[in-house]
Amino acid sequence: MTRALWRHVRLAFFLGGVGLHRLSAYRVDFVLGAGAFLIRVGLQTAVVGLVFRQIPVLGGWSYHEVLFLLGFSLLPRGLDHLFTDQLWELGRKLVQRGEFHRYLIRPVNPLFSLLSERFFHPDALGELAVGTFLVIWSGSSIGLDLTPLQWAVAPLLVLCGALIHTSVKLLFASLSFWTVTSLPSMYAANQVSEFAAYPLDIYHSSLRALLTWVLPFAFTSYVPCVYLLTGAAGLVVWLPVVTAGALALALAVWRRGVNAYEMTGS
Amino acid sequence: MIVAENLVKEFRLAERKPGLAGSLATLFTRKHRIVRAVDGVSFTLPAGSKTAYIGANGAGKSTTIKMLTGIMTPTSGRCLVRGIEPYRHRKDNARGIGVVFGQRSQLWWDLSVPDSFRILHRIYEIPGPVYRRNLALYRELLDIDALGTTPVRQLSLGQRMRAEIAASLLHDPPVVFWDEPTIGLDMVLKDAVRHLVNHVHRELGTTVVLTSHDITDIAAICDSALVVDRGRVVHQGSIRDLLRTADRRSVLFDHRDTTAPERACAGIEQGLPGVSASPAEDGRIRVDYPVDRFTSRQVLAFLLERFDLVDCYAPEPDLEDVLRRIYGGGRPEPVPAEIPCGPAAGGA
Repeated sequence: MTRALWRHVRLAFFLGGVGLHRLSAYRVDFVLGAGAFLIRVGLQTAVVGLVFRQIPVLGGWSYHEVLFLLGFSLLPRGLDHLFTDQLWELGRKLVQRGEFHRYLIRPVNPLFSLLSERFFHPDALGELAVGTFLVIWSGSSIGLDLTPLQWAVAPLLVLCGALIHTSVKLLFASLSFWTVTSLPSMYAANQVSEFAAYPLDIYHSSLRALLTWVLPFAFTSYVPCVYLLTGAAGLVVWLPVVTAGALALALAVWRRGVNAYEMTGS
Repeated sequence: MIVAENLVKEFRLAERKPGLAGSLATLFTRKHRIVRAVDGVSFTLPAGSKTAYIGANGAGKSTTIKMLTGIMTPTSGRCLVRGIEPYRHRKDNARGIGVVFGQRSQLWWDLSVPDSFRILHRIYEIPGPVYRRNLALYRELLDIDALGTTPVRQLSLGQRMRAEIAASLLHDPPVVFWDEPTIGLDMVLKDAVRHLVNHVHRELGTTVVLTSHDITDIAAICDSALVVDRGRVVHQGSIRDLLRTADRRSVLFDHRDTTAPERACAGIEQGLPGVSASPAEDGRIRVDYPVDRFTSRQVLAFLLERFDLVDCYAPEPDLEDVLRRIYGGGRPEPVPAEIPCGPAAGGA
């Protein structure tokens, strides 16, 4: 068991290296992806700025607090994006075109085999860089002073958030094993996750409930940010439970899907 | 080595009605039809055998291979490869098999072939000497270096197939499953592939299971045949035995007589009723005879008596003909088209 785990870790580093190597082969793609992303976040920041020209506080959140939330939301998203982007391919075409079989005939875990095919997606590096910049900049503008405990917990918050993103993506991508393609539902779930980049207090309670307990994107940004900004524990104690639950559910659906996979054509 | 016990695979197909109204109807009422692709197939393939898995389109060949490689789970029954159920222990199974699906790639789409091989080297944990030995072999036989650093997606079908075949053997698997491995290959490369698999089989005793539409592949690589029709095994044995089931054999001969070929043929058909004779290329005459009516001795005796033979040979029966007969023989007689029995038909 531990031997198998080590093997996968070593392979992950090796395949990560291959992924980085590939970046150099797709420089234009990288520049376009990262460039487009910078423009998008720039516009998002500008919109938030415009809103705060009119009002000093939004749902109890100040300008820099909202930017902190926006920046923080990019960290788990980027981390997830960095490693699991191949799931989009699963939802889009791998089952439809009967190409999924190649992950089942390699002597590594099929999920690892799938994900490792595209480690280090370039857009994700842009997301992580911009997220880090926004968090540091807005954090210092607020004069945020984290306790040692908060410092220690912060990386775990990002990690759990990333795992929640991965779980939702995995769950919807796995539906393609039955529906052949599940891109629309994956896309819809991804759109919902965008709501989590802003304070939940501004939304209707039904949307808040959806983001907290159904597609738990609130736990990837809003809940950890409330904890980091105010120090109030609140919902953040549920984060490990929600993460574990989401991951377990997604993996169960994935596993059933793999066993139900029917490779089409000759 | 490879065992199938009452292997069954059923697919559920949604019945769709044609047309726009039909697709709308399908949205609300879904009818499913069960299609049995593999129908209780049982067989045992010994270690070190080279078996051609033969069947018409839709006979369940690919489906069976997909269960043997662990890609799909059987509806019922089971199969064992090297003593393990592939779909239950995919990783263990994958370690010991090599797979080629001619129609589908399993290489890394946007990496070059050498990069793909480096990854395979790692994930199969191939010992260095084995890896280098195999690369040298592919260099020699498949000219793998010519593929260079082009990403796999930009290779031609023939180039990609060379890489796929090499990749399937890179880790010295005890069992290889090759589904249409020579599509897109020219004659020279086909020969190289046959040479490679026979070499590997000789050196390592690899068990080979092959499906192909290319009869020459089957004849050049395999020593035994498993013939499947509509999901059931209808023949298992050596290729030689399979060929012996042919109901017609042929003799081609050349002669020094001045008789016109047409007259010679007519003479043969008259002398041996049930036999067909026709002029073949190079002025030869081809004689096809049913084996249940004449022995080859009778046919040859007749020809020797009638003609001044200078050359004579009997080709192997055509495998395609044999197969066509096996598939045809198993099928029920076609139902005659229904004739309307209206008043007009009755009155006539």
